[in-house]
Amino acid sequence: MYEVIDHVLNVQMGLGVPGWVIHLVRHVTVAGILLVIAPLQMLLLTYLERRIIARMQDRVGPNRVGPEGLFQPVADGIKMFTKEDIVPTASDRWVHLLAPCVVVAPVFLMVSVVPWGPELVPIDMNLGLLFFFAVSSVSGAGLLMAGWGSNNKFSLLGGMRAAAQMVAYEIPAVLSILAIVIVTGTLSLVKILNVQGGLFTSLNDVSSVPNLGLGWFVFTPVGFLAFLCFFISALAEGERTPFDIPEADSEIVAGYMTEYSGMKFGLFYLAQYVLNFLLCAITAILFFGGWQGPGVEWLHSRGVTASPDGSVVFTILANVLGLAYFLAKTYFFFFVMVWLRGAFPRLRIDQLLDFCWKFLIPLTLVNVVSATLWAIAIQWGSPQGLAFLEGMGEWARWGMAFALTLVINAAAYIGLVRVNETSGNQTTVAEDRQDRSMKTATLS
Amino acid sequence: MQLLVQVIFVLIAAEIVGAAVMVVTAKNIVHAALWLIASFCGVGALYLLLEAEFLAVVQVLVYVGAISILMLFAIMLTRHVTGKGAETSLYQRWWVGLIVAAVLFAAVIAPTVLAHPWETATAAPALPGETGQPAAMAGIVDLGRAFVEEYLLPFEIAAVLLLVGLVGAIVIAFEERAARRHIPTLAEEVAHRRQPE
Repeated sequence: MYEVIDHVLNVQMGLGVPGWVIHLVRHVTVAGILLVIAPLQMLLLTYLERRIIARMQDRVGPNRVGPEGLFQPVADGIKMFTKEDIVPTASDRWVHLLAPCVVVAPVFLMVSVVPWGPELVPIDMNLGLLFFFAVSSVSGAGLLMAGWGSNNKFSLLGGMRAAAQMVAYEIPAVLSILAIVIVTGTLSLVKILNVQGGLFTSLNDVSSVPNLGLGWFVFTPVGFLAFLCFFISALAEGERTPFDIPEADSEIVAGYMTEYSGMKFGLFYLAQYVLNFLLCAITAILFFGGWQGPGVEWLHSRGVTASPDGSVVFTILANVLGLAYFLAKTYFFFFVMVWLRGAFPRLRIDQLLDFCWKFLIPLTLVNVVSATLWAIAIQWGSPQGLAFLEGMGEWARWGMAFALTLVINAAAYIGLVRVNETSGNQTTVAEDRQDRSMKTATLS
Repeated sequence: MQLLVQVIFVLIAAEIVGAAVMVVTAKNIVHAALWLIASFCGVGALYLLLEAEFLAVVQVLVYVGAISILMLFAIMLTRHVTGKGAETSLYQRWWVGLIVAAVLFAAVIAPTVLAHPWETATAAPALPGETGQPAAMAGIVDLGRAFVEEYLLPFEIAAVLLLVGLVGAIVIAFEERAARRHIPTLAEEVAHRRQPE
């Protein structure tokens, strides 16, 4: 990228600009592309969601504007822009006005670290993964601002519920990712992706495996459990059914969005759909290899080593193929989200928090322990006083790690299911109702 | 380049101090909490300017993402939610607070100021070249090692302190099931009403 801009500006146009200008041009260009792509994703996703959910509910869905209703989101966007912007007189003007911005801005910052292909990386940060989750947690403040600033009880309830849910589910989400970080030993999304080559086992574990781009972490017991926990937490973070409690339309109108109209409402919608896209994308990247897939690595290596003319073609092909894999995986997860919306009713807030504290968090903690054992079995050796591990072959070490973590994780899962079942049976209906009234009283 | 960095530093510092002043002078307690978030963000930006990206990210994650949201949450649960009537005014003996704060701040900052080997006259460090990568920073690995080796005791004490806080919060919030008001189920209510007949 740097070389290309350098070539265009300095060689072809002969401007002789200094290096920092080239960096600036590069980053502004990338940011511009991302700022266009992210809203486009939102338009596409709203259309997809409406069509898929209509199909599941035996309806037709939007099919009038454009071929198969494809331009419906554009029409919706025009409607949003032309609507009157109503600010309630009793609201806190500035807080009400700033809240949508505080919700949208972090989501767009999150876009900046997501790798789309082998070389389609906006910013390769060493802390990419941590940055992603740190920034995503900021939007909780925006939700509370929206809920409080509107001066409406439904808004306030929605804002409180949203913040409670986000803070609670951040813990299992981050803990399940911690397992992947322990196994790979890095927080860089690019490095986590590069490791996921290979066939069934990642390149980190067994280096002799053929690199077919299929060494996804979901094939390991640690990665599989982490994937399940993370995806459930992602549903809660993205406020998807069955966790769409903050904007439960049948209870509190639209939650924190109740008093917003026009484009401010549109901004909340934009933030939500881009966030859902990003959560699906990060699921695909961490557990399903992102752009990794059969053929990408081969094309990419050809692109690097072949003759100057051929290399560009191969590099472009590798990136296009990687992008296709990445988007296919991401859209598949979004489809699963819509599917869940069609299949499940909404949870109550106490069920949501119970599920988080009594099931997800213990499970992810056990998973962190198994991830540590995995890392010990694969990476440790004589420096740590475990010289006998070095004597074993790569496959033997991998097999040992696999069996060990499989047993631990399966036992933890079965045990937790049993514990939660029995404790669920012991509470009578009356106690359950009391529980519920207690918890809703604290949250309302 | 040095000038640019200094200008950015002054802007960020002004933002932090301004927001912090707003925290203590804002009449509305929710506004005060929101200004505190702005101040925390400024500190994160300052870390970024110092090229301590890990600290910057953690500052945002912990202070903006968790602590200030919990603060807002607590305010909204305990205070009059609209924020009206939560007028803050200066305590009469405000100068006592000022002195205590100044002394505490001096106790923290003085050893650093006195003991740090200030390099005032050295040339500006070579900027990362346009072609090469910036030099490796003291990264997460070093930090993690320091926590479990050199600073193990403070680390563990902090962990125990947090645990104590957690247990205390649960003890305060916990209510015995038997002590709660009994809410009859529909079946119990029906049975209760039928009894007199």
